[in-house]
Amino acid sequence: MMSSDDLVTLPSGEVADDFRQTRRVEVSVLPEAGDQNAGDETIRNYTINFGPQHPAAHGVLRLIMELDGEIVERVDPHVGLLHRGTEKFIEYKPYLQSIPYFDRLDYCSPMCMEHSFVLAIEKLMGLEIPPRAQYIRVLMAELTRIKNHMLNLGSHVMDVGAMTPNLWLFEIREDLMQLYERVSGARMHANYFRPGGVRQDIPPKVLSDIGEFLDNRLKLFEDAISLVADNRIFKQRNVDIAKVAREDAIAWGFSGPMIRAAGIPWDIRKSQPYEVYDRMDFEVPVGTNSDCYDRFMVRVEEVRQSWKIARQCLLEMPAGPTATADQKVFPPPRAEMKTSMEALIHHFKLFTEGFHVPAGEVYVATESPKGEFGVYLVADGTNKPYRCKIRPTAFSHLQAMDFMMKGHMLADATAVLGAMDIVFGECDR
Amino acid sequence: MASSAPRTLSNDGVIEAAQAALGDLVVDTKDHVGEITLTVRREGVAEVCRLLRDTPGLEYQQLMEIAGVDYPDRPERFEVNYHLLSLTRNRRIRVKVTTDERTPVPTVTTLWPVAGWLEREVFDLFGVTFAGNADLRRILTDYGFEGHPLRKDFPLTGYVEMRYSETEKRVVYEPVELAQDFRAFDFLTTWNGPEYRLPGDEKAEPEAPGAYSPAPATGAAPKVEAAAGPGKRENKPYTSENEDRKTAGAKEARAEARKPNEAKQAEVGGVKTDMPEPTPDSPNVTRDSGEAQ
Repeated sequence: MMSSDDLVTLPSGEVADDFRQTRRVEVSVLPEAGDQNAGDETIRNYTINFGPQHPAAHGVLRLIMELDGEIVERVDPHVGLLHRGTEKFIEYKPYLQSIPYFDRLDYCSPMCMEHSFVLAIEKLMGLEIPPRAQYIRVLMAELTRIKNHMLNLGSHVMDVGAMTPNLWLFEIREDLMQLYERVSGARMHANYFRPGGVRQDIPPKVLSDIGEFLDNRLKLFEDAISLVADNRIFKQRNVDIAKVAREDAIAWGFSGPMIRAAGIPWDIRKSQPYEVYDRMDFEVPVGTNSDCYDRFMVRVEEVRQSWKIARQCLLEMPAGPTATADQKVFPPPRAEMKTSMEALIHHFKLFTEGFHVPAGEVYVATESPKGEFGVYLVADGTNKPYRCKIRPTAFSHLQAMDFMMKGHMLADATAVLGAMDIVFGECDR
Repeated sequence: MASSAPRTLSNDGVIEAAQAALGDLVVDTKDHVGEITLTVRREGVAEVCRLLRDTPGLEYQQLMEIAGVDYPDRPERFEVNYHLLSLTRNRRIRVKVTTDERTPVPTVTTLWPVAGWLEREVFDLFGVTFAGNADLRRILTDYGFEGHPLRKDFPLTGYVEMRYSETEKRVVYEPVELAQDFRAFDFLTTWNGPEYRLPGDEKAEPEAPGAYSPAPATGAAPKVEAAAGPGKRENKPYTSENEDRKTAGAKEARAEARKPNEAKQAEVGGVKTDMPEPTPDSPNVTRDSGEAQ
């Protein structure tokens, strides 16, 4: 559709490109060039545009790259192309109606997004939730982590050239989607975690099917990883790419697998345990070399640990209610509403006016699959948040792209991006 | 703590240690739901962050977040909140400064490079400027966006919308046009409902004591609490001495009735055609046309 006529050639020989025409990689020459046919001394840097529509950009990322030959000199990521004003919307909605917005942040790990928000509300209200609800939340958060890593590991592998593992890992992801649907009613946008507990209990048959999944599917995962983990090409593309020193990882605000790959054993589930993570038996994998390969392998090990946590949750899950009995916060069961006037009133009040959160401010961060996902919530005592600031994981990681890419080849950009695990729903909000 | 939110190490003694390290840079301290907030002087924020990072015993190595908040009623309307994390001490702390539209806040990019984008975001969404940040461009909003969307006086719907124009073959920006009025539901007054003024509502006004029935014979008139809408109610009761409202609305109703049909049609928004009004004997409409075919 687009031809070279779209590019306007200026008198200076520079090619001016309209920034919206970005469906392909365009190469334009910077203006300092004099005569095109002069001697070797006029070596110029290329500035190229990567994205925003590019399969390896994992969404709508636009990178302005300055190249010296094939070596990347400078990267300027332009984000915000998926900005939907989530934080503004949340200021206009009662707390309960804001939860679905969180599913749509990191749409690869929706329940982990909800987790920070409901914990922030509960912290402000001082709300205690029953043990079964805590176990269910941890179980679902870990299944979500597996689900997220299936997508990321697979696409990282595909970005550097392998096809098969991605297809195999997607099979596991599909299984998890189906379990998601049977638990919450939706394959992706679950809206399952609620202040005070979870939306509904998981039926026994679904729990046993989750157990069956955990028993049978780890082999497929190991098979898929065995194809690439020791593969020569995969290592050539990842080992020693985008190494980050420990001090840099701290200064750039890294979290999650990115900081663990740098050798810092920092996992919020372990160091600042929430829900029942302090009862869970798992280990925090760390990298030794802090390169893209380490980030990949840290995630691989995290999947195995999550598998372990999920299994432990199933084994230890107590019986009992799955939400707080405080009907000012959590709606009464449907059956009770048929007979109790009070329950009916609670239900009506809850879904029109909502509940009020005492005034105060709180910052709650949980370990999402991609790193520290935080919610800074300012409540003014009404039924709507006064301000809800979302701390995305991608913001600090993507910002570090510039120094991580310096001196690397253009083709390494996809490996670096894949190992960062960035989703733009969350980055741009 | 009752809730199951992430549990850090105890914050006991942190406020005292911070006050000892920071001296008179601290304006106020707060400990709420187990979270420490230090309000500090604006011009000293970079120094405060450096001290919090480097003082042994405090050691907040990581800057996780910078969050702006807008309070339009305050003289210095913006709050900027820095959330720091200590990996070694396993604690979090919040540093708060206030500012207005004009006064810049000192940058902390000199301490943490990650502050670059975080400050850009606060600048983009609130219009707070940061002195010393070399790259203070917009980050989340569109190229060429005007305004700061997270300010409380910025409307939720925004000012411009864009679409791809098939005729111009490019993306065009236009003022926002809402197919339906923006509805701000005030869920806080569920029981009273919103205040609408429909024609004829004046007949249902609450009556004052002493007026004709159906007002209650004793006691005050039923009180309707509602936000003062555009149509302000009159306080004067409708009695035989005060008959102003006997004819209220009649003038408008008469004017409405006397309007020409064209004007009414224009209001309703119907399409005017050249087709004549069908009559029983017009050639297009025959009674037995169905049978003829």
